[in-house]
Amino acid sequence: MIFDLIVNEEPIHTEAPADISLLHFLRDHLKLTGTKEGCNVGECGACSVLLDGKLVNSCLILAAQANGRRVVTIEGIHAEDGGPNDLQQAFIEYGAVQCGFCIPGMVLAGEALLNSNINPTRAEIREAIAGNLCRCTGYQQIVDAIQATALKRQEKGRRD
Amino acid sequence: MNYIGQSVPRVDAIAKVKGEAVFASDMVMPGQTYLKMLMAHRPHAIVRRVDTSKAEALSGVITVLTSVDVPNNEFGYYTYDQPVLCGPSSKLYADRVRFIGDRVAAVVAETEEIAAEACHLIEVDYEDLPVVCDVEEAMKPDAPRIHPDLDSNVFSHHKLYNGDIEEGFRQADVIVESVLNTPAQEHAFLQTESGLSYMDEEGRLAVVTTGQWGVKDRKQIAHALDLAEDQVRVIYPMTGGAFGGREDISVQIIVALAALKLHKMGNPRPVKVVWNREESIIGHCKRHPFRFFTRWGATKDGKIVAAEVKMLADGGAYKFTTSIVASNAVINSLGPYEIPNVKVDAYDIYTNTVPRGAFRGFGGPQAVYCAEQMVNKLAAALNMDPVELRMRNLAKEGSLQTIGAPYPPGVTIREVTEACAREAGWQTSSIGWTNDRTGNKVNPVNTNLRRGVGLACAHKNVGFSYGYPENCTIGIDLYGQTEIEKAVIHHGASEVGMGAHTVITQMAADALGIPMEKIELVSTDTARVKDSGSVSASRMTFFIGNAIKEGAEKALELWAHEERPVHLEHTYWPHQTTAPDPETGQCDPNVSYGYTAQAVEVLVDMETGQVKIEKIHCAIDVGKAINPQQVTGQIEGGLVQSVGYAVMENFVEKDGQVLTRNLSTYLVPTVLDIPDVMNIKVLEIPDPRGPWGARGLGEVMNMCLAPAVSAAVHDATGIWFDHFPLIPEEILIGINKLPKK
Repeated sequence: MIFDLIVNEEPIHTEAPADISLLHFLRDHLKLTGTKEGCNVGECGACSVLLDGKLVNSCLILAAQANGRRVVTIEGIHAEDGGPNDLQQAFIEYGAVQCGFCIPGMVLAGEALLNSNINPTRAEIREAIAGNLCRCTGYQQIVDAIQATALKRQEKGRRD
Repeated sequence: MNYIGQSVPRVDAIAKVKGEAVFASDMVMPGQTYLKMLMAHRPHAIVRRVDTSKAEALSGVITVLTSVDVPNNEFGYYTYDQPVLCGPSSKLYADRVRFIGDRVAAVVAETEEIAAEACHLIEVDYEDLPVVCDVEEAMKPDAPRIHPDLDSNVFSHHKLYNGDIEEGFRQADVIVESVLNTPAQEHAFLQTESGLSYMDEEGRLAVVTTGQWGVKDRKQIAHALDLAEDQVRVIYPMTGGAFGGREDISVQIIVALAALKLHKMGNPRPVKVVWNREESIIGHCKRHPFRFFTRWGATKDGKIVAAEVKMLADGGAYKFTTSIVASNAVINSLGPYEIPNVKVDAYDIYTNTVPRGAFRGFGGPQAVYCAEQMVNKLAAALNMDPVELRMRNLAKEGSLQTIGAPYPPGVTIREVTEACAREAGWQTSSIGWTNDRTGNKVNPVNTNLRRGVGLACAHKNVGFSYGYPENCTIGIDLYGQTEIEKAVIHHGASEVGMGAHTVITQMAADALGIPMEKIELVSTDTARVKDSGSVSASRMTFFIGNAIKEGAEKALELWAHEERPVHLEHTYWPHQTTAPDPETGQCDPNVSYGYTAQAVEVLVDMETGQVKIEKIHCAIDVGKAINPQQVTGQIEGGLVQSVGYAVMENFVEKDGQVLTRNLSTYLVPTVLDIPDVMNIKVLEIPDPRGPWGARGLGEVMNMCLAPAVSAAVHDATGIWFDHFPLIPEEILIGINKLPKK
């Protein structure tokens, strides 16, 4: 079938099998391999993307369900100059990255939270990434990175 | 340039946060084909016939591989005991499957979907054989023989005898005796096994894959395909976690075999394979379950005088690294104590379960559970504080190991135990060590809740042991004229997430006295680098650090003598260990140890059986933290895996089948399953043999959380659980709220 959707602010018009998952549509058809497959049953969160701003497991959604909607993948998260944005920079600064396989999903989970809650508690941050497994870091440095970004964005909000 | 001890950002972090880091599963080559394996899904059977005709007839199928396609149908880490593809073959007994994940055939097709569909069309005639999954059953003389070429399912027996065990028990005032069981554990690295194989521009068979030791993969691929090693090239891009689970071969040989076959068919297209999660869980090894029959004795003044351990290691269907895991367990089953009379017998046993292999700690966490559970029981039996009992028995500088040789220099088990104990509320006074937090079972507010505190301690060897000729080779190139403009480090350290590439860059910059920006790495491509050894056994920082330190010194000397450019290859050879005496086990087993002590505070809900770990206190001696932030990340990550091991991760097997085949049924900790604050005390007491004083770190934190939890649950409930994970159901059975199974 023909798919028409917006991925990372770009209109996409392409053909793919009607029963393809959003995950495989992104990885195999659009070559956006930053979105990872870890379990294909919605347990690990490595395939997390934003669908109309909301965090979803792209392995559990048909690409057809994203038709006509806006998808943001890790390739769509960056600073204006193309480098890491503030949240990604915080992941680097706080040592939140090890093998890196879960990190695209973690960054998107963090963005989804900060988009809806500018002042999250630590408990809310933990809740927000509870659907994303990390087998390397022990999570603390990821929570620290999201918390630090929240504070910075609040400060910036007050300045602007 | 001082980079040692600096928390510099990881060299791979920008690519990883942006999703640009390339893993083998992300790679695409023009014209690539897709491979799918047919796994047996039955635990023990002879493969009488494999009919691939219907699969081959399916549109889009390029070729189907079976046992007859494998030139030398065997592989294995230490022993070639596993068929690449099970089925009729010139190799005796390659005709059978011995666990559910054994591979019978593989399909190469235009798409992954077609390859999967074709697998369903392959007809296999099996003759089922009796299945044996319990180690004690498998040891019996009349048990079904899993490898008929051997006269028993017991494939090794390790001994450690020292002193006079019977005399030791005669001196004991208190003796405790137990049967203990430790569970299997799934690595659950987030990236499943992947491989892409093709003929490279120089006619070598290249395999881009996930792994821990490229040279070892290459050796096994070359053996099975009957190629010279230099005709095979193994390349590791970024790897999504390993934890020992990538020590052994998974997809590498079969994907290479397929690419070679396409090449020979005159259709030289690349072949790609990615295991799905279920294939990963049934296809790769697990942490060994161990059963311990053990007896410990102490005098009433708290001197441990005898320890006897018989341990049965469930090796699963093939050897993998079992024998070395078990020999490592032998030492750790006695803990870091001075015990004059010891007797340990360890048996490695084949069963029809998914093979058991390396998992962070390498037999240590299982064996330490034995030692620490028994020391905690001894303390209870002596009515002595468990820290006090430890302080009366722990090894110190110059102590002899129970295995005979002196400890490597830099023994700090007392320092970590004291640091951890103080964090968890222990104090010293004229009556010795005590803790007001222990023994306060009932929560005054909610009487369903019971509080408990427990502690355990351990050491972990650094590097391969027992006479293995350990070494680490790197290349150093220096470019420039008046000053060094660029240094290239050639190394084989697979970046599986632990930060090796960052630490190598830091150490090289420091040793050469140049900025980190001038260091370039050529990594983990067997065609371009020499053998730096495996990223396992907590060894890489220690070994490559020493190689860099020694190599840099030589390279700078050449540079000073006006050599331009400098091309140097250097091998670091550590203190040579010795192999165990076959009768007594006596030897000088290890180069170095890392030391840790861990205490946990738990809340046990007597209604639901839930064990909540409220606080973790972990003291760990890293010698020198090359990158303190990465050290903290390693420790926290290992502790979270240990929380899973102790109270959550329940790998369920029945009659050789795995019932927990995805992350929806095999539960690993999420962020909500762990305490928000882990109290980590990093000690930096230099290891005289370590580079800049650094010790190995990668596994040390995984060694002793489970026995600490067990002691804490005992403190809370008064019950010793001699097995784990302590999931709610097991707690309720233990406190008689559910019937025994």
